[in-house]
Amino acid sequence: MAMSEAVLRQYLAVGAILFAIGLIGFMTRRNLIVLFLSTEVMFQGVAVNFIAFGRYHGSLEGQAFVIFLLVIAAAEAALALGLIVQLFRRRHTLDAESWRELKG
Amino acid sequence: MEQLFAVKYSYLIPLLPLLGAVAAGFLGARWLKDRAHWAIWITVGGSAALSLALLTGMIRHVPAEVRERAHIESSGAIDAGESLSDSAQMAYAFRVSASKHVYTWLEAGKFKAEVGFFLDPLTAVMLCIVTGIGLLIAIYSKGYMAGERGYFRFFAYVGLFIFAMTVLVMADNFLLLYLGWEGVGLCSYLLIGHDYERPAAREAAKKAFLVNRVGDCGFALGIMLMYVTFGTVSYYGNPRNPVEYGVLIQAATNVSLSPWQQSAAQWIPFLLILGAIGKSAQFPLHVWLPDAMEGPTPVSALIHAATMVTAGVYMIVRCGTLFVGNGPATMTVAAVGVFTALFAATIAMRQFDLKRVFAYSTISQLGYMFAAAGVLAPVPAIFHLLTHAFFKALLFLSCGLVMHATMGELDLRKLSGLKRVLPWTNRLMLVGCMALAGVPFVSAGFFSKDQIIAAAWYQNKLFGLALLVAAFLTAYYTFRVYFRVFQGPTVLPHGAETHGQGDQQHGRREPAVMILPLVVLAVGAILAGYLNWPERQASLGRFLGQSPSLCLSHTLASRYGVDVPPVPFGVEEDPDKKVRDAMNVLHTNMMVASGLIAALGIYVAYLFHRKYRARSEELAMRFPSLNRMLERKYWVDEVYQGAIVEPLRRLGRAFNLADRFVIDGIVRAVSLTPQIGGFALKLTTQRGSLQGYAVLMLLGIAAILLIVLW
Repeated sequence: MAMSEAVLRQYLAVGAILFAIGLIGFMTRRNLIVLFLSTEVMFQGVAVNFIAFGRYHGSLEGQAFVIFLLVIAAAEAALALGLIVQLFRRRHTLDAESWRELKG
Repeated sequence: MEQLFAVKYSYLIPLLPLLGAVAAGFLGARWLKDRAHWAIWITVGGSAALSLALLTGMIRHVPAEVRERAHIESSGAIDAGESLSDSAQMAYAFRVSASKHVYTWLEAGKFKAEVGFFLDPLTAVMLCIVTGIGLLIAIYSKGYMAGERGYFRFFAYVGLFIFAMTVLVMADNFLLLYLGWEGVGLCSYLLIGHDYERPAAREAAKKAFLVNRVGDCGFALGIMLMYVTFGTVSYYGNPRNPVEYGVLIQAATNVSLSPWQQSAAQWIPFLLILGAIGKSAQFPLHVWLPDAMEGPTPVSALIHAATMVTAGVYMIVRCGTLFVGNGPATMTVAAVGVFTALFAATIAMRQFDLKRVFAYSTISQLGYMFAAAGVLAPVPAIFHLLTHAFFKALLFLSCGLVMHATMGELDLRKLSGLKRVLPWTNRLMLVGCMALAGVPFVSAGFFSKDQIIAAAWYQNKLFGLALLVAAFLTAYYTFRVYFRVFQGPTVLPHGAETHGQGDQQHGRREPAVMILPLVVLAVGAILAGYLNWPERQASLGRFLGQSPSLCLSHTLASRYGVDVPPVPFGVEEDPDKKVRDAMNVLHTNMMVASGLIAALGIYVAYLFHRKYRARSEELAMRFPSLNRMLERKYWVDEVYQGAIVEPLRRLGRAFNLADRFVIDGIVRAVSLTPQIGGFALKLTTQRGSLQGYAVLMLLGIAAILLIVLW
């Protein structure tokens, strides 16, 4: 079933909004875990965009790529959380602002 | 003439001393050390031998033509010089001269500068003086400079000086002359400041060079004007081809000069005079010479008595054709000379430093030479140059012996009766003093000075009178020194009594290596006078008259109707018997007058400084302001210091401040801009927070997207 352009645009809008929310969250929040959560949200926004284009062009490539994306997101989650645990052990805080050694 | 050995190898005359200087300079420190004088003895000796060969070769070349011409003229058949055709006359003028082209120095468009030599009687005489006296002084210097630091450096510079001076004298164009001119100025600086650890010597060297430079500036402008006016800087160019005439011939024949060229040519002599005034220490550029006495005494003898300072006189005589007919120019030369002669003589009367007296004496005697050149009597000018070289070098070198014996004390108020301590020096100095004072017949100075006074009197009675007065003062101050220092009770400065009696440093007080050259000079100082006895066929004057400079000048003078006696031009006597007799009477009168004046001067000096020393000092104290004026050399130095040196120093300091604060400030301000930019960037963008960096990244991507999509 083909998708009209208007509907495509709506899906893209959703993706964009998700991405924007994630972005703003990443830039604004101080909690490390919430920071990471925002990046996950950005991922999801991109995933939605991929699906929408896949459906629009009538190919399965979009969906296939999203599978890859999810795998990568998961791997990244593991990595990031491991780092966060280590960082927490150093400073005993989840505040992103507490690491400023590279200032200047 | 070109076939003469001395002419073919004439390039050796400057080259040998240059090689000697290079050898002494580069090998002297490590290898030659206190044998460095050999490099100069051998090379300058070679030059001297060649110069002598050149002179004798030329002399042998002269007689036939001269006798023939004299015969033709004395038979009344032809007027001197008038009816010969121009080209024959030109050929005659150049008969006893040779040109030697060495190489082309540089070429720029139409301008060509050559290294070439022009050898004529004038050059030959100058060369013999320079190399001969240079050699004698080099021999003397071995004794004088023994044990001094920088022994090899001294000889290297002396060699360099002889090179430059010979180039000056042998040059065939003004550019090469200027090279030699500058070269001797440089060597003067180097040699005066030889003992550069002494501040006085450093200052004196700088002063000499800078004052010289003022004159050199005028000279350079003169050469440039010459090129612009005449299209060449060569002296004579190609005398056979009117299109290629050099400067001096063009000036003589006025070959198709446009009106503006002719008026420009009127100014050239004045610029040259400026150069000569600087080099020959005439008023007002005389101030460097007395200070130059800070240099070693052989330097004073060689450079500031016998050779370098005479370069100005040589140049004016060489450029005779540029000056003849230019009334204001010759008047300037004569006036400057006469004034300086009198001016310097008055100062010398009241100087107490032995060398300073002789320095002012040199300035005064150079004034005589200038006066001679200015009244169009070039032969007496060169003759006096020759005799002066002998006796002034003798006097200075004797001073050197005195200095050695008195451990450097030269104040004649502190010395007396040295004839017992320095017997030979006493005799030699007496000969020199007699020559300087112009004692009749036993000294060369008498003849040469007398001829100048006679020539000056002929042109302008006032000049002649002034020169006579100066002669009286000369005799007085010369024998003031002699009677004070050598006669009377023996007084030596403390510590000098035993000095020199077999001590390691100086051995004997009057070592042979220093006395023998002085004996030669003394003999010259006595006998050289007989070289230019007016009536004799083979006199110096007649020889010099074969030089194109004198020959053409004389012809030019007759053409302009300038009243010049022929003999001072080295031309044979006037055929008119009445004129000849008048000249003879003038000369005899002048000889008697100068003889009397010299005797009077010596007698006054004897009274004041030998017989009644104490009373003469009291008498002098009665005129304190006059004394002060003379002792302070008319405050010329102070005037220069206040009007020129200090303002320039202040200007220099102001510029220094401007440079440090304004210009460097601007540079520093410019360098601050990137620094501030960087700092601003650092403060704003690198805060160390992760999220901040994320924001910046985002902004960057946004910017790129904007650029790409727009």
